[in-house]
Amino acid sequence: MSGSPTSSAATDEELMEAYIDGDEAAHRLLFERYAPILLRLTRRHLRDDDLAREIVQQTFFRLHGARNDFRRGSSVRPWVMTIAMNLVREHWRRMKRRKMTQLEPDTHAAPDAEFTPLELRQRSELLHVALEKLPTSQREVVELHWFQERPYAEVAQIIGTSEGAVRVRAHRAYATLKQLLVSEIRGDE
Amino acid sequence: MTSANDSPDGGLGERLLELDRLEPEEPAEVLDCMFGEVKSRCAKSDRTISGFLRSRSTVTRRAIVLTVFALLSLVGWFVFPLVGDQARTAPWTASLVTFCVLLLLAMLMVTRPVHLPELPRWQSVGLVSVAVGATIVAAFWPLPAAQAATPEHAGALMAGVCMGVGLLLGVPVYALLRLLDRGNALGSLVAAAAAGLAGNFVLKAHCPVPGTSHELLGHASVALVFVLGLGLVHRWLPQKPR
Repeated sequence: MSGSPTSSAATDEELMEAYIDGDEAAHRLLFERYAPILLRLTRRHLRDDDLAREIVQQTFFRLHGARNDFRRGSSVRPWVMTIAMNLVREHWRRMKRRKMTQLEPDTHAAPDAEFTPLELRQRSELLHVALEKLPTSQREVVELHWFQERPYAEVAQIIGTSEGAVRVRAHRAYATLKQLLVSEIRGDE
Repeated sequence: MTSANDSPDGGLGERLLELDRLEPEEPAEVLDCMFGEVKSRCAKSDRTISGFLRSRSTVTRRAIVLTVFALLSLVGWFVFPLVGDQARTAPWTASLVTFCVLLLLAMLMVTRPVHLPELPRWQSVGLVSVAVGATIVAAFWPLPAAQAATPEHAGALMAGVCMGVGLLLGVPVYALLRLLDRGNALGSLVAAAAAGLAGNFVLKAHCPVPGTSHELLGHASVALVFVLGLGLVHRWLPQKPR
């Protein structure tokens, strides 16, 4: 065990239990732990800072409504990730329905020009474009497996499919990314 | 990051890491501001009936729905007379059982916890289509004219009354499901189908008017009106976050 439920050493699950019992400090600590992770995740998917923030806030709002479903022994991370991924998918669907397809990538999420060398930014942009070319189902897997470092079993739990299907999607996604970026990668070698 | 077997190899892994490193860190004051907004939104929601109901556990929310359904059924059972014994044919029973099963499925979909991956859309759309279809099919097994308390030619005239009653009965079901829905995709459409099924269930069980035309105009139309009216209109209008 890791001390008092609201200490920074407490596990996510201990914090969640304290939050369910009405502990505001635990709520804040959970937010501080997960908001930055979720912001990176949603930014990469949406490429819009304001929207990413809104989705992260909405994730915590939904977590608040769903907190009484949390059972001792469950893990908090897949919960939070699943809620966020559901919201991202919902957003894309709504965008599709309203035919507001974004043709130009939003550059708000791009790093500040004065801090990043031009070449690095261009390569980052290239990779972003390549990621955007992947089907959503494959992008989700790359995001969770590679960027969020989640094992395949957990990725499968979060996106609601089998581990085998996740492995196949990951394999295809990495193969496609390599293909898309092959000239750039070779250029470096 | 991940085990060697799982990782994208060579230059790609490097590029992905590079991309990750380029993501800007959020300043502490922005996070503070975001948390403040989340807290005030949660507090505001906790003060409302819908917020209170939605934050109950899924078991509790489903128990609430089942209890309300059971109470409504009991009231209906005692207040309105059922169709005559001779009219309680196998298709009549099958229609009621089908409506019940579909209603239960709709309730499970609408009250699905949001921490689970959302269901594929075809499942929700499929349920809504089957629900509307079931009410139409049921209309082709109407009350036999010999068992009816109303002459068959009056059926079309009575359709408006049945439709009104069906819509009235469906509204509380729709409202209850929407109050308990935490924001599932297509929740409004499924709740609308459930409302239509509830209306059809009561009408099928109690309506003494014979004729397919009556059931199509007065009963099946209830599900259609709910789905097309409430479901779609609600879906296309901007919604408050749940």
